[in-house]
Amino acid sequence: MSRLKPLVEKEVKDLLRDPRIYIGLIVPIIMLPLIGFAVSIATRSATEVAVKDLKITLLDYDGTEASRGFISVLTLIGLNVRNTSTDNLDKALEEARTLGYKALLTIPKGFEKDLLGFGRVRVEVYAIMESVGIGSVGAYSAIDGALKTYSDILSSTLISKIDPRVDPDVIREPLNVTRYTMIKDRVIEVPPQALFGQLMLGYSFMVPMVLLILAITVTQIAATATAIENEEKTLETLLTFPVTRYDILMAKLLGSSIVAILGGILFTAGFLLYFEGLFSMPGLEIGVGSVFQTLPPPPLETYVVLALSLIISILFITSLGVVIGALSSDVRMSGSLLGIVIVPILIPSMLIMYGDLRTLPEALQIFVYALPTSYPMIMAKEMITSTMPIEVLYGIPYSAALTLIVVYATSKLLAPEKLLTLQYKLRLRRMKRKQAKELE
Amino acid sequence: MPNGKVVEVRNLVKSFGEFAALDNISFRVDEDEIFGLIGPNGAGKTTTLRILATLLLPTSGYVRVLGYDVVRDADKVRPLISYLAEDAGTYRNLTGYEYLSIVARVYFGSGTDAESTVEEAVKISGLGDRINDKMKTYSKGMKRRIQVARALMTKPRLAILDEPTSGLDIFHAQHVRRLIKRHVEEGGVVILSSHNMLEVEHLCSRLAFIHRGRIMIEGEPQTIKDEYGVSNLEDAFMGVIGK
Repeated sequence: MSRLKPLVEKEVKDLLRDPRIYIGLIVPIIMLPLIGFAVSIATRSATEVAVKDLKITLLDYDGTEASRGFISVLTLIGLNVRNTSTDNLDKALEEARTLGYKALLTIPKGFEKDLLGFGRVRVEVYAIMESVGIGSVGAYSAIDGALKTYSDILSSTLISKIDPRVDPDVIREPLNVTRYTMIKDRVIEVPPQALFGQLMLGYSFMVPMVLLILAITVTQIAATATAIENEEKTLETLLTFPVTRYDILMAKLLGSSIVAILGGILFTAGFLLYFEGLFSMPGLEIGVGSVFQTLPPPPLETYVVLALSLIISILFITSLGVVIGALSSDVRMSGSLLGIVIVPILIPSMLIMYGDLRTLPEALQIFVYALPTSYPMIMAKEMITSTMPIEVLYGIPYSAALTLIVVYATSKLLAPEKLLTLQYKLRLRRMKRKQAKELE
Repeated sequence: MPNGKVVEVRNLVKSFGEFAALDNISFRVDEDEIFGLIGPNGAGKTTTLRILATLLLPTSGYVRVLGYDVVRDADKVRPLISYLAEDAGTYRNLTGYEYLSIVARVYFGSGTDAESTVEEAVKISGLGDRINDKMKTYSKGMKRRIQVARALMTKPRLAILDEPTSGLDIFHAQHVRRLIKRHVEEGGVVILSSHNMLEVEHLCSRLAFIHRGRIMIEGEPQTIKDEYGVSNLEDAFMGVIGK
C-alpha cells in the first residue's frame, strides 16, 4: 500500500492537470447548464414576446351585441383585437398578414341568433404563420386558451339559463376522475401517464445516461493515461521500479477511476442543472423531484447492490482502457481504438434506456447480460419501481469473476516483454499495411 | 555476491521473431567499474540494457545481477538497480520536485530517507528553482538532467544508463559524467551505452564493442587501443569491425 499511494498520486495529479483530460471533465458542467439555460430563456422569451404582443384581427359578419361581447371578452383576456377594414375574407387575410397580426377570427352571420337558440356556432380561426419558432406555438395556444375561456363562459351562461340550480361544471364534466398509481406497496396521487413521463425522462433515461457517460469517461481516461505513458516514454521507466505489475495496474485503475468519478459527479451536476433550466420552462415547472418525493425510497440493499455493481463495472472498463492505452503508441491511436470498447458499452446502454430487456430477442439479452457495465444501469433503472432484479443478483458474481480475469490478463500484459513485443508487432503490421497501400 | 561480479552475462540470445537482436553475447561487470557498451544504432546495446533492467526476457542464456537471475528473481533485482532509458520521458504535468518525491517514496516509503533522497536529487539535477516548474516547460537537457538525478538519487548498486548524456550540452554532459564517477566512488557500479567514444574513453574502466548483436572485443580502453595500434577508440572500433 505504501508504494501504491505515490503511484496513485502520480496518476491523479498528472491526469487532473492534463488539458486533454480536465477540459473533457469541465465541459459538461459548463455546457449543459448553459444549453438548458439558453433553451429555457429562448423559449420563455419567445413565448412571452409572442403572447405579450399577441394581435389578432376580427371579421365580424354578425355585428350584434353578442359578437361585440365576444370581442370584449377576448380583449379582457389580454388579446389585442382589432376589426378589419374590409368584409372580404381574402382581403382581410392579406391585411392581417401585412400588418403583422397573428390570426384572423371570423364571426359568422347569425352568431347571436344561433347562440340564443342553443345552437352550435362555427367560429373560424386563420393562423398567420410567419415563423416556426416555439414562440408561435405559444401564441396560438394563447388564442386557443382565450377561445376556450369564452366557450366556458358561454356554456355556463346557457346552462344557468336552462336551470339556475345546476352547476355548469357538473354538466360539462359529469365524471370527476381522480387518478392514483400504485408502486410496490404504496399508492400515490399521480396519474400513471405523468409518472411514466417523469420517470422516463428523469430516472430511466437520466441515470443510465449518467452511468453511460461515466463508463465512457473512465475508459477514455484509463486509455489516455496509459497511452500518454507510451507517448511520453515514461512507461518503460515505471516498469523498472521496485513495484509489482499489480501495483502499477492498480494505481492506473484507481487513479483513472478517481478522476472519472469526479468527472461523473461534474457531468451529473451539469445534467441536473440542464434539467433545472429546462424544467423552468412554462408548463414544465413541476420537476422530476416532486414525483420522486411521493415515491417510496428504494430499500438500502438496492443501493448496496448498485454500488457493488458500479465498482465492478468501473474496474472492468478501466482495465479495458489500460489495455487499449498500453497497446497504443500515442493518445491519438488510443482514441481510435476506444471505439472498439465504447460501442459494445453504448448499444446495451441504449437497449436498457429505451426498452424492456425481458422483451428483447434472446441473443440481444445475452449480449446485454454478458457485459458487467449493464448491471449498474439495470439496477439504477429498476430499483425505483420494483424489488431487486433477479438478473442483477446472478450478474454480480459473474461480473466479478469476469473482471478478475480481465484485471489478471491486463496485469500480465503489463509485463514489459509482452508489451514491447506486442507494440513492436502492431507497429510492424501498420508499417506493412502502409507499404501495401503505397504500392497500390 | 560471487567473486565481486555485479553483472554476469553468459551466452545471451534475444530474438524478435526471426530477427536476432543479440547473438550469444557474454561479458561481466565487476565492483567499482564503469562498463561501457559501444556500438552503432541497432547493434543490440539497448536490448542488452533492457534485459539487465528486467524489461525484456532473454530468448536463451544466463543473466545475473548481483547474484540474482533477472528472469527468476526480477523482483529482487529491481530494488538494486535503476534504469535510465535513452528516450526516457517525463510526466508533463508534474513538477520536477513532485516527480522525484514520488519516485523516492516508491523506493523508500514516506520517511526521512525519501525526503533526504529528494533533496540530494534536487542538488544532482542542478535545476535550482526550476525544480518546482511543471516538467512540460523543461528543455530536452533539463528533462535529461531530472532523469539522471532520478536514476542516481536512490544510490542503486547498479545504475544502467542508456546514452546518459544524450541531448545535453557540453557543460551539463560534463556535470553528468562527474555524477557517474561520484556514484562509483560511493560504491555503485555503472553500465552504460554511448555513441560518444571520447566520453567512453574518459569515463569507462572497461568496455565492449558490440556490432550486429555480437560482442566483438571486451577490455580496458587503453588495451583495446594498443591491440589495434590506434590512438582513439573510434579508430579501434573501425578496426574491430573490419572497416
